[in-house]
Amino acid sequence: MNIRTIEYKNIDETVYIHEHSSGLKSFVVPKKGYSKKYATFATHYGSINNEFVMHGEKDAIRVPDGIAHFLEHKLFEQKDGSVMDKFSQLGSNPNAYTSFAQTVYLFSCTDRFKENFQLLLDFVQNPFITEESVEKEKDIIAQEIRMYEDDPNWRVFFNLLDAFYVNNPVKIDIAGTVESISKIDREVLYKCYNTFYHPSNMMILVVGDVEPEEVFKQIEDSVVAKSSKPEIKRIFPDEPKTINREYVEQKLAVAMPMFQMGFKDTGFNSKGIEGLRREIAIKLILEMIMGRSSSLYNDLYNEGLINNTFDFDYSIEENYAYSAFGGESKDPLAVKKRVVDEIKKIQSRGLDKESYERIKRAMKGRFMRQLNSVERISHTFISVYFKEVSMFDYPEIYDNMSFDYVKDVFGEHFNLDNLAISVINPV
Amino acid sequence: MNNLISESIVSEIASFNGIKIYRVKSQKFKTNSINIFFYDNLTRENAAKNALLPAVLRRGCEGYPTIRDISLYLEELYGSVFDCGVTKKGEHQIIQFYIEYISNKYAGPDIDLTKKNFDLLLNIITKPVLENNAFKKEYIEQEAQNLKELIESRVNDKMQYVVEKCLEEMCKDEPFGIYDYGSVEDLKEINEINLYEHYKYFLETLPAYVFISGDIEDEGVKYIIDGLSKIKRGNIKSIDKTKVEVNVGEVKNITEKVSVNQGKLCLGFRTNTPPDNKDYYKLVVYNSILGGGLHSKLFQNVREKAGLAYYAFSRLEKFKGLMVISSGIEIKNKDKALEIIYKQLEEIKNGNISDYEYEASIKSIETGIKSLKDSQLQIVDFYFSQYIVGTNDTPDDIIENVKRVTKKDIVDIAERIKLDTVYFLTSKE
Repeated sequence: MNIRTIEYKNIDETVYIHEHSSGLKSFVVPKKGYSKKYATFATHYGSINNEFVMHGEKDAIRVPDGIAHFLEHKLFEQKDGSVMDKFSQLGSNPNAYTSFAQTVYLFSCTDRFKENFQLLLDFVQNPFITEESVEKEKDIIAQEIRMYEDDPNWRVFFNLLDAFYVNNPVKIDIAGTVESISKIDREVLYKCYNTFYHPSNMMILVVGDVEPEEVFKQIEDSVVAKSSKPEIKRIFPDEPKTINREYVEQKLAVAMPMFQMGFKDTGFNSKGIEGLRREIAIKLILEMIMGRSSSLYNDLYNEGLINNTFDFDYSIEENYAYSAFGGESKDPLAVKKRVVDEIKKIQSRGLDKESYERIKRAMKGRFMRQLNSVERISHTFISVYFKEVSMFDYPEIYDNMSFDYVKDVFGEHFNLDNLAISVINPV
Repeated sequence: MNNLISESIVSEIASFNGIKIYRVKSQKFKTNSINIFFYDNLTRENAAKNALLPAVLRRGCEGYPTIRDISLYLEELYGSVFDCGVTKKGEHQIIQFYIEYISNKYAGPDIDLTKKNFDLLLNIITKPVLENNAFKKEYIEQEAQNLKELIESRVNDKMQYVVEKCLEEMCKDEPFGIYDYGSVEDLKEINEINLYEHYKYFLETLPAYVFISGDIEDEGVKYIIDGLSKIKRGNIKSIDKTKVEVNVGEVKNITEKVSVNQGKLCLGFRTNTPPDNKDYYKLVVYNSILGGGLHSKLFQNVREKAGLAYYAFSRLEKFKGLMVISSGIEIKNKDKALEIIYKQLEEIKNGNISDYEYEASIKSIETGIKSLKDSQLQIVDFYFSQYIVGTNDTPDDIIENVKRVTKKDIVDIAERIKLDTVYFLTSKE
């Protein structure tokens, strides 16, 4: 068995890597002294993959919105009942989540890792979907969708994506709509499964106090490639470089207006170190412009235009990237105006080198905090893995970042023509 | 000083002036943290003041008089994280201050992060920005406004809101009915002078617990103890015990109408079992069987069998001895959901507990307890919670106690659990 090791001495972490003959890559991040063992089995398939060409077919198919998430629910159903029961018998907690670009199955346990891991390997590889169980799941997922409809934080974010994008499927709610899921049946679920759940499109990660060799041995014994590596053709609609609209508003039962605004990113490369470097650079700039140590944050806070809920982030994936920032405000449009003024100011004056250095050091330190938690490691590791990088490269990117590069990225990303805002107002 | 401590055995390393100091020694984390908890009785008189205090203190201190100054300094310290706020545990209000910073070995030899971070934390607590022997007026006004907004924004998160409202309505004539952050009316009475008076009461008389956790050298620990011993303290207030046993009359039905798509159903119960009672762990297992996970009766029957909900769970409020059931459902399905929920409660009373439900519940609790050792914050919260109710159980003790609970114990405890309030959040139509 061929096991590769990468040691990250500066942060005291080691990653063990194994590649299965099917093309499945597996990783172990040992965490000595931890009680929890956290294992994930993930596929590079999420809510945005609603159009694709099946292996061996000529024509593309368009599947109902929300199907990746629906499939995630249905995989827990096995021939002899729900696999959740079997995990529960072992005292472990199985779970799963679907994001825009990935579906992730996982469990965390403290004992009997091997048995738990076997359950994970088996159920993800063996779907057992019946017409009847598909119908029942529609009721459950409908309530999940209803819950999100009433969640202002969720709505304000998706409305912003809708303001950014004209066609990109990232603007569609991950769970779909009650209407779209009504069209899902057993056959189309299998089509999605057979296209995206081949081991070569998947990865396994185990974080915790485990022996890498034993984990890989179990994978060797349990992973089966039923067919040769299929070609997956994902189809994405063309997306203009400009935003869809500048302003979106919705009314919900909130006490005070909420907002999210940000810049639609264009002309980026999401893959590899380059994507990670851009992500870090933009997060750094956001911290410089509107972080707690910035004058903008403090002015807005002192004037009562923002409060503690204010936060910011940047996301980058294969077909889309954007920054988003917001929180509660009595006057979101006043905040927008101030952000615009500040950006114009920086455009003429330039970014401050001293705060760049200080914030870079702080962000690197805060990255270390993530390494305390097996969940956080798993989550970050998987999300960057499908962009073909390792999360443990972050510290090095901080070390090698140049101020000139950051200045260039500022010029590209903070383009005021691509600024959109989403507001939730009280009913 | 007892230094032989791992994250599962935490003990007191110093105690003076109503301040108890504990050390959680662990090398597996990449950060260290210092947690300071003050605690008070939860009262109408003090709740809003206690909530406003940390919000004002975090605005600035000697040497770092604004949020911006504090933030700049935290960045210089390799991105330390500072936070503070209030919570309630039973009828106690907890005021917490917390700082977390990377272990010295990742920062380089020429900086002592423990000293610098502790000094900042201590300054924030003990040396606030003052004007004319009172708090800075501007800070009070802004933070009172922020707190008002925070209280009013409770409704934003419907799932949490309905649970809190249900329990508050249940206990509206008891201290527990007071919201963690007090009320908007009480806020109106607060100004820079009376809050500064209250601050002195807080700093001088409230009992405090301090947890030092991570890989901190003895020298650093000694430095922290020295610093804390210099806080000027007076007569330490003795804190009341939370009243748990309350007779329930007729079940209260409350309906609240807001603009929502999904109905939120909540049932509040009195368990009449305080956390230091020998029967408490029976209650813990009871709750797990009823609604504490995927194996539970509520998840299996409300969601998996009837397909009525995406979530359906029960949860204990340990300190006040309350239990709450919560589920998000289609509005028209309220009666159907209630019927299924009542049926589950009856099933347990009648002893209809399968071996699977029983065993999975005990194992799930065991996993949860063992898992908390992987988070400094959870370890600290675990021990702090033990100390304020006067139990000194370690995680291992709890696992032992839970394993001893029998099915008969669960049926016995079921008799003690009384439904008090049914709360339904529904649409305006």
